[in-house]
Amino acid sequence: MSRILAVIPQAWGAQALEAALGAAQQVSAGQDFAAVLISCEPSAHDAELAIRAGARQVYQSVHGALGECDEPQVLVAAVGEALRAIPRLGGEVPLVLLPPGPPGEELAALLADALDGQALGRCLALRFEGERLVAERAAWGGRMRVCLHVDSGPAFACLRAARPQFNAQAEADIFTIELHGQLPRTLTLDQRQSGQHLPPLEGARLVVSGGRGVNEQGFVLLEELAVNLGGTLGGSLPAVDAGMVPVLRQVGVSGKFVSPQIYLAVGISGTLQHLAGVSLDSCIVAINQDPEADIFKVASLGIVAPWETMLPALLDELR
Amino acid sequence: MKILVLLAGVTDIRFPLHPISLNSQATIDEQGSPRRVLSPFDEAALEVALKLRDACATTQIDVLLLEGANSENLMRSVAAFRPDSLHCLELKPLQLWDARQTAAQIAGLIKRDYGGHELVLVGRELGDLDEGSIAVLLARKLGRSQFSMAQSGQWQGEQLWLMRERGTCEEWLEVDQPLLASVTNDRRNKLRYPLMKNVMQAKRMTFPHVAASAPVRAGLTLSQLQAAPVIPRLGQCRLLSGDVGQQAKALACWLKEQGVNP
Repeated sequence: MSRILAVIPQAWGAQALEAALGAAQQVSAGQDFAAVLISCEPSAHDAELAIRAGARQVYQSVHGALGECDEPQVLVAAVGEALRAIPRLGGEVPLVLLPPGPPGEELAALLADALDGQALGRCLALRFEGERLVAERAAWGGRMRVCLHVDSGPAFACLRAARPQFNAQAEADIFTIELHGQLPRTLTLDQRQSGQHLPPLEGARLVVSGGRGVNEQGFVLLEELAVNLGGTLGGSLPAVDAGMVPVLRQVGVSGKFVSPQIYLAVGISGTLQHLAGVSLDSCIVAINQDPEADIFKVASLGIVAPWETMLPALLDELR
Repeated sequence: MKILVLLAGVTDIRFPLHPISLNSQATIDEQGSPRRVLSPFDEAALEVALKLRDACATTQIDVLLLEGANSENLMRSVAAFRPDSLHCLELKPLQLWDARQTAAQIAGLIKRDYGGHELVLVGRELGDLDEGSIAVLLARKLGRSQFSMAQSGQWQGEQLWLMRERGTCEEWLEVDQPLLASVTNDRRNKLRYPLMKNVMQAKRMTFPHVAASAPVRAGLTLSQLQAAPVIPRLGQCRLLSGDVGQQAKALACWLKEQGVNP
């Protein structure tokens, strides 16, 4: 039995599935891992993806009452029941990986508490050294790195890794676990339209993002540019603080992690905290009037110009 | 309504980082007098509470601020907003990298001293070592429901509602049971400036300390602390030259070459 388990709530979508499989593939480094798919009904497609990513055991864990519920506070009951039903994991310190991102981090913490394990949170690196698990995490705004030794488990963590490689020839054992435990009640929420109409940051191929250097009129132009280019809109933490863009579009260490093909950064200085939210695979294009801005050190393409003249000119060019 | 606001503070990222090291007891030593400020999430939690008190004068705001390097200055900053009480929270032992340990310590104190507070507000990341685990664990240990990523609160009659945005919707929750809300930054909760007379008054204040203890948990050890390595990016920025029109044309052409089709 593998000592690594990727737990994936299917309500979190394809991106969460791939991200968790990528993390499991990276940590297992060619060794076995298992996948636990949590949903209200089994998905052959997701099971096949897990197998092609290298899972040697796939546990289709089904709770009919889950529906489309994506709340960690509810999922913890179903995942906990599933993990208790799985034969003892191999190794002294089993590692349970959740999809990276705030819901995954919350679920990892809740599971650690429910199953008396270690909550490792958002890790930058995970590796086994003999029977011990070693986790590295960022701290102090990304300026320091802490190294944690886990000597007793299980450990629950999130790790952002490269996209998984898929092998067409893979095989695995598939098990079905019927879950019946009582689920906690979800909060009763009153939903109202917020006026947001742009696509979400998750999965966007192009993100147009603005920072402290852009004002409200500038964000109107950035939104127009994002729509024009078939992309979506993001912003840095200072832009969110200033009310230029809603928090669900915040990119950075405390916001969303994005991995578009092109990240167009306008009026963004390029702090460590902001860049931590942009994939190393993304090509950064920077527009900034300060030629000394740090963003030019990491961009592939740059324009030194004020947004006030550059954005209208670019929109004219694209029309 | 009684509201407990839990704050942590973070090191100001605009200044060089102070010396931080690991001591022989595997805990963290911070030297010097680092500039410590409220994080955007701390500020948001505090402002949500202040706005609720503005709108309903019987609202009581009690604040716990985690002890850390140079706490005294941060306590004064918070005191200038005139919470009904302000205590410096000492965790024994202080192991902020262990979210379960930290949540257990704080939950014990809240149950003992603040059990009647209907609402606990926490920034969605608590301090320099948390990435969002502590709030959810604290809610679990307190046996309260959690409303994560709250952005604002408002009274509707005598009833309190909290709001967050998800996708294309606003989600509103009526606070009709003891609740913990983790608060995120938003234009509606940008922290106000304190009145100068309150700032001056805060300079003369002393602040009581309160301790929260829990037995040391086994199995998770901080073994190393080091400066973060520089993550290499390909970069090698090619700057587009010419006037604005030429630069715009070149960028539009480049985007088309990348397969972006307006």
